[in-house]
Amino acid sequence: MVLLIKDEYPEKLFQENGKRLDGRDKKELRPIKMEVDILKNADGSAYIEWGNNKIFAAVFGPREVHPHHLSKPDRGVLRVFYRMATYSVFDRKRPAPGRREKEISMIIADCLEPVLFLELYPGTAFEIFIEVIDADGGTRCASTTVASLALADAGIPMKSLVTALAVGKIDGELVVDLSGIEDKAGEADLPIAITWFNDEISLLQFDGDMDLAELDTVLKDAKEAAEKIYEIQVNTLKDKYISIQKNIENEKGGED
Amino acid sequence: MMDVKRVISTIERKYIKNNLKKEERFDGRGLWDYREFKITPNFVASAEGSADVSLGETRIITGLKYDIGTPFPDLPDEGVCTIMAELIPLASPLFERGPPDEQSIELARVVDRGIRHADCVQTKKLCIEAEKAVYILFVDMYVINYEGNLIDCGGVSALTTLISAQLPEGKWNGEDVEWTGGYFTGKDIVNELPLVITYGKIDDIIFLDPDLPEELVCDGRISISSTEEKITSIQKSGIATFSFDEIKMLCNKSLEIGKKLRKDLNLWQYKANNE
Repeated sequence: MVLLIKDEYPEKLFQENGKRLDGRDKKELRPIKMEVDILKNADGSAYIEWGNNKIFAAVFGPREVHPHHLSKPDRGVLRVFYRMATYSVFDRKRPAPGRREKEISMIIADCLEPVLFLELYPGTAFEIFIEVIDADGGTRCASTTVASLALADAGIPMKSLVTALAVGKIDGELVVDLSGIEDKAGEADLPIAITWFNDEISLLQFDGDMDLAELDTVLKDAKEAAEKIYEIQVNTLKDKYISIQKNIENEKGGED
Repeated sequence: MMDVKRVISTIERKYIKNNLKKEERFDGRGLWDYREFKITPNFVASAEGSADVSLGETRIITGLKYDIGTPFPDLPDEGVCTIMAELIPLASPLFERGPPDEQSIELARVVDRGIRHADCVQTKKLCIEAEKAVYILFVDMYVINYEGNLIDCGGVSALTTLISAQLPEGKWNGEDVEWTGGYFTGKDIVNELPLVITYGKIDDIIFLDPDLPEELVCDGRISISSTEEKITSIQKSGIATFSFDEIKMLCNKSLEIGKKLRKDLNLWQYKANNE
């Protein structure tokens, strides 16, 4: 293991052979691993390893709203708390939540709300706690993806899952799924989330510069890549129910 | 699914108590048995050292970050090692958002005192130049799942984190710190392996490693840190009172249990390879 001493950016983000620094092609995702029902105390939970990102999400609700004045008489409220562990980043983060974390919490809440039927739960709150244990670029997208999985794990009625990822431009080339270093040293970064029930975009931020043709291409690439991630999400949920089914069958087998 | 309650019913309280009297517990353990420890070192790539430790269902992920700072004026040639704990609401509906509360401060302080007073971290080795520059280590514990006895889980977690640490080596060039390009590891700074062992008490029954229902029912707890030969720190919490004989018995017990646990966990296997 080689430790970085200074937060240095490399001059080039592509290797001689045209691959990216971590050996990926332009449209290749980092390895993604997801798990659900990982935290026993939550109503629903999920965990994701996306490249070097390691993120937990826990869902509680529907439950009472604290503080009470935030409750709405005609619908439920969705509250998201995105937090990063102090040791998840290069320079130790201060323990108290900063402006960045509060903004991202709001962005994720706005992004997930369209898939929920909050009007069915007046006066209650759904709370999603997201803890980034290890960060390496694209944590808001990974958090959104894992939070939607935790909501599904909690058995909360949803129109569909939500999948998010970052696309962008590095060294003049369009790529999907920016790593930490590509995010910092690249030219453009565009986090995007897709709600699958209507195939629309529910989270979109953009920093950098691109012309209209590039933007068009990169959005198409994003959709393609998101479909791959969506498949992993669905399979993760399926696997949980398959394993429950197997457990039941084994128990029955034991009785006979 | 969500089965954590703030209030334990009288019936459940009686049930737990009567079981303990018969030396029986919910999960089949004896009075002096630990739940199983599971340790994964170097869980976090961004941290200089880290550990993911589970004690039964209780799970704590700890990471170490460092900074270079000026030493305290009364200890000019010693580095600093601080321990912090966060009880995040993700871990249990019993935890609330906001700044650290009493419980998380107690957890951090008990673990810290166990490590500090055992001469575990050799702070003199964290000094780059007396009065000018020393390492400041931040050991931050995040509780991921709460099922009782955070203190013992946190103690092992903090210790494994320190052992697995790998830090860049700095040298004083007269004005500033210069990186030599080399590294030093947990093996160079960790001296002793203090383990903190927690007992719960209900009426006159004392038992090791309370799980969550037991922790919510019990009158009080006592946490005893010990190294191979010595008791290094004690914390009594809750409203229970302990007799002199009980304290003596528990101190002896702690040395004995500590010895066995130290052997079973074999924490040195998690040291960083300095290649």
